[in-house]
Amino acid sequence: MVHGRPEFTGRIEVRGLTKRFGSFTAVDGLDFDVEPGRITGFLGPNGSGKTTTLRMLLGLVRATHGTATIDGHRYAEIANPLTVVGSALEATNFHPGRTGRNHLRVQAAVAGVPDSRVDELLELVGIPAAARKRAGGYSMGMRQRLGLAAALLGDPRVIILDEPANGLDPEGIRWLRGFLRHLADEGRTLLISSHMLSEVEQTVDDVVIIANGRRVAQGTVADLRGEPTAYVRTSDPERLTQALRDRGLSVAPKGRGLQVTTEDLAVVGDAAHASDVAIHELRSEQTHLEELFFNLTDRDEHRNRNLDARPSGGLPVDLPPPSGPPIDPALLAEPVESGEPGERVERRASTTPAMPAGRPDDDGRPR
Amino acid sequence: MTAAVRAELRKLFTTRLWWGMAIAVLVSGAAFAVLFAFVFTSDAVRGPQAAAAPRTDAALAKAVFTGGLQVGYLLTLAIGVMTIGSEYRHQTITATFLALPRRGRVMAAKVVSLLVVGALYGVLSLAGAVGAGTVVLTSKGVAPFADTSIWRTLALSLLVLGLWALIGLGAGILIPNQVAALLISVAVAWIVEPLLGLVLALTDWGKSISPYLPSRATSAMLESTSSGFDGQPVHQLSWWAGALVLMAYAAVMAGLGTWRTLRADIT
Repeated sequence: MVHGRPEFTGRIEVRGLTKRFGSFTAVDGLDFDVEPGRITGFLGPNGSGKTTTLRMLLGLVRATHGTATIDGHRYAEIANPLTVVGSALEATNFHPGRTGRNHLRVQAAVAGVPDSRVDELLELVGIPAAARKRAGGYSMGMRQRLGLAAALLGDPRVIILDEPANGLDPEGIRWLRGFLRHLADEGRTLLISSHMLSEVEQTVDDVVIIANGRRVAQGTVADLRGEPTAYVRTSDPERLTQALRDRGLSVAPKGRGLQVTTEDLAVVGDAAHASDVAIHELRSEQTHLEELFFNLTDRDEHRNRNLDARPSGGLPVDLPPPSGPPIDPALLAEPVESGEPGERVERRASTTPAMPAGRPDDDGRPR
Repeated sequence: MTAAVRAELRKLFTTRLWWGMAIAVLVSGAAFAVLFAFVFTSDAVRGPQAAAAPRTDAALAKAVFTGGLQVGYLLTLAIGVMTIGSEYRHQTITATFLALPRRGRVMAAKVVSLLVVGALYGVLSLAGAVGAGTVVLTSKGVAPFADTSIWRTLALSLLVLGLWALIGLGAGILIPNQVAALLISVAVAWIVEPLLGLVLALTDWGKSISPYLPSRATSAMLESTSSGFDGQPVHQLSWWAGALVLMAYAAVMAGLGTWRTLRADIT
């Protein structure tokens, strides 16, 4: 089924896109493509230039150099753009004294969309009754849903969402995942920004990762993720290595333990049990993508440039960022290995990347 | 373009601002009409010293019917400021420009919708003023519609409110903080500028400038007389020159605002 105007395929091209605010370069020579029918995650730490990039793509911010186009057209050149590109930028941009439904009706009037479509969409995103109240009292989750409804108003081919999972509860995030997949399966182009890989990793097909306004990586999630690996420490590495190789797994020594190419921890545990060796530690390792993203968000030079930098000298290198996950005391007791980044990552307790500092509303979100 | 104007009107009529303003405009129109009708027909004012009081029935009726318009145009000035100020304040400007990225058209739609709203509020103000004023004037033996030029004044009243709304639109863009924009523009229009007019009229060189101030141009346009510190009627432009001057203010302010909006990064 073809949605939106058939003369648009929904391919986004960004070429040499640059934005300088005075002496500050927010976006620096950015190149990437977004393909129709796929969900592309646009990832980067806070302050890396994601929102500025999206705003240039949508004609709200004027690029210093370069172009961002949809099927070769700049956004401002598209007649009635809401019927080609739907977008939800920040979750806060509603007049507090206007109802959510009336906010959509204003947009609908410009796009030439009937009010009945507004009610349909409010039904679809699950806030038909709440949308008749003034937007001032809306929760973050309701704002996100209202923003999503606004983005879909013109049945657009291209959908651009800035941090859509922010403020959604676990059930809301699950709902969003299914919903986005459904939209992509209809052949639409989806570009979704996030500062948290874990939030979108299960949803997106492709990723574009930026830091400091520059592209760091682009590719499919499958390619960037690499093969899943497990890390195991044992009383007898040689015996366990043999046992695992006998089961057809590839094993390599890593740090004080072994790296096993598998995602099934039970296989490793069973092998250890069968060959009668003790396991001291066994866990899944971060994928290459997680590691890549974690290193970006954790490095000082990639910290949020919108905030003041941490005081020089900073924190000891072993400690997690101030609001990161609590560190396992057992890990601290371990002798410190002098650190290439991979080793530091490996010592973390969980398989998920730490969040960048300072998003108070992230607490209790599933990772 | 009609779609954009419809969207702008929907914006105005989907918050509580408009009916609060509507009540204020209606009530002030009626209240000032009653007040002026009693004052101008009282013996004290009609005496020989009161040179500035309207002398003919037609002049009296014009003064009574447009008495509430000064409050009215301060209110539409505020609406003009808020039309753009609240968009920046609540970041709805993002949604507005996403729906219509040709910003010149957005601004044109705002101009048209403010003129429409100004006319609507003008009708309300006149409904109050003509309704209440006619009753009082008739009871005092004054003919409320003595002259056909009264109709011209009433028609131009509708334009006055729209033009002041456009001045507000420009002020709302040029002063980025909405609250500051409201305070400054209302304070200037209500207090500073009329006082300036009176002070200027005391000097020889100022006398030739003061008729071109917006409030003086407005009085000229409505052919309502006003007096200076000396109690003598001040010199003012003819009605059409006043209208042109006020239109020029509206055009310059709305034009400056549009020019700034076209270039701004919406972050």
